[in-house]
Amino acid sequence: MSTSYERQIDGIIEALQAHVLPNNADDFIRGQVFSVIFALNGLKLAADWKAGPLLQQVRVQDDAFAAVRRLADGMAHPEIPAAPRIEGDIVDAAHIEGLRDDGDRLLGQLLLWATGEGVRADNPLAASEIERLLRGSICDQLKVELATTPKSMLQQIAGGDGDKAATPG
Amino acid sequence: MQDATTRTDGSPAPGPVRGPDTVDDDTVRAALGRYLTRTSGHRTEITHFSRKSSGFSWITFGFEARSASGADRMLILRVGPPNGLFAPYSVQPQVHALQSLAGTGVPVPALVAFEQGGAEIGHPFFICEHIEGAVPAPWAASMLADGHKRAIALQFLSILGKLHRIDARATPLATRPDKSDERAEVGAVAAWRASLARPTARYYPLLDWGGKWLQDNCPLPPRRTIVHGDYRIGNFIERDGTIVAILDWELTHVGDPHEDLAWALMPTFNARSRKLYGVIERAEVIDLYQRASGITVSARSLAFYEAFALYQAAAIQMCAVRAFEVDRFNDMRMAVMASQMPSIIRAFERALEAAA
Repeated sequence: MSTSYERQIDGIIEALQAHVLPNNADDFIRGQVFSVIFALNGLKLAADWKAGPLLQQVRVQDDAFAAVRRLADGMAHPEIPAAPRIEGDIVDAAHIEGLRDDGDRLLGQLLLWATGEGVRADNPLAASEIERLLRGSICDQLKVELATTPKSMLQQIAGGDGDKAATPG
Repeated sequence: MQDATTRTDGSPAPGPVRGPDTVDDDTVRAALGRYLTRTSGHRTEITHFSRKSSGFSWITFGFEARSASGADRMLILRVGPPNGLFAPYSVQPQVHALQSLAGTGVPVPALVAFEQGGAEIGHPFFICEHIEGAVPAPWAASMLADGHKRAIALQFLSILGKLHRIDARATPLATRPDKSDERAEVGAVAAWRASLARPTARYYPLLDWGGKWLQDNCPLPPRRTIVHGDYRIGNFIERDGTIVAILDWELTHVGDPHEDLAWALMPTFNARSRKLYGVIERAEVIDLYQRASGITVSARSLAFYEAFALYQAAAIQMCAVRAFEVDRFNDMRMAVMASQMPSIIRAFERALEAAA
């Protein structure tokens, strides 16, 4: 998730208040919109992003760190954190998201290191293997995010037309 | 008033400005009336004022200017919002493009006026003529007949060829605002890298690494041309089977012409098809473009710029996230754009593999 949960909810409420309500005089529809705003305010207080997909991404990263550690044995390399980084049942999504973002930065440093001229000259086979592994692992992480992304509605969003809303999944 | 007929490019570059925090339609309409009254010297009434839904960056309004002098004109106002997708905004690229291309074979709307300082409106803006016609939606499988689409696609390529034949050095677009010695096309990659490196953007390792690869491996252009920067189906107006105006010049710059060709070929802008507008195969597109532009297309450069197109697309999504999350831009479309990041980055990774 690139936007925060709270900001998403605030943005939906702002869009309804600034763009939908001023352009609708129908009492029933206005009542529906106000009810949606009330429900969204409730969700803001009671809910958050799902922790599961974030946890899954952190585990994919941890597997990559462990594999790179083996392949880079004996080489001078950037920091590789000890895995697993999460023990037990942590459900705080913000904490897990922080670990995921930290992990991404470390993976980026490792990828830049593995494709650098020095490592390529000294250990071409290991460097290629590490690059391949890291790129594959990062793509696996993206697949986790794709699984929680609804189908695109760009046509309707850009043009404001179309009766059929895309379904999630 | 910075009148399009009197303002020349020798003037110093105006800096980006920040006006009021939001763009309120009623406020803009009233300010526009005051502005046109002052600058024309005649009381001007604004009628048929409406915000257009299209466009994710500049806010576009259509209106009629009714002047006491009796001249009624249908016009377009484009305002750069202070918290928009590419804020802070400068009118310069679009103003320079519309000025440079007037009277060439590249059809553009006539520029009427512009104000980098915002004048009465408070935000950078420009006004151009309204052109009747339709803007095709690039994302939809169009209901238009294939023959019609092919005729439009052929014109689309012919106009691109004409654009790339123009001597960019003779236009104000050739003046780099940063005065850098860096190659122009490398500068374009570097600018997007800098955008992605802003501390509030989420870090994506493949974008960091891939951006460095693009900068390190940027090919030499066959020649440096005016690059539209967003040349695609959906950024023109067609009327009765003819393209009558090319729109949205905000990303225009001088660089490698392959950049426009690669952007136009992105399946996203062709209803998910690998064919241009869903009707012209890639090989024929290249052949037609080469004949129109006089430029020999390099397969390697085209592959590079297809990867770069996806990198830019990812950077633009991140600009949207920033506009929504940090600058509190009140447009839910910005929040939704963020959800496209995983699919764009995966496509970028595959495109890099092809370009390497």
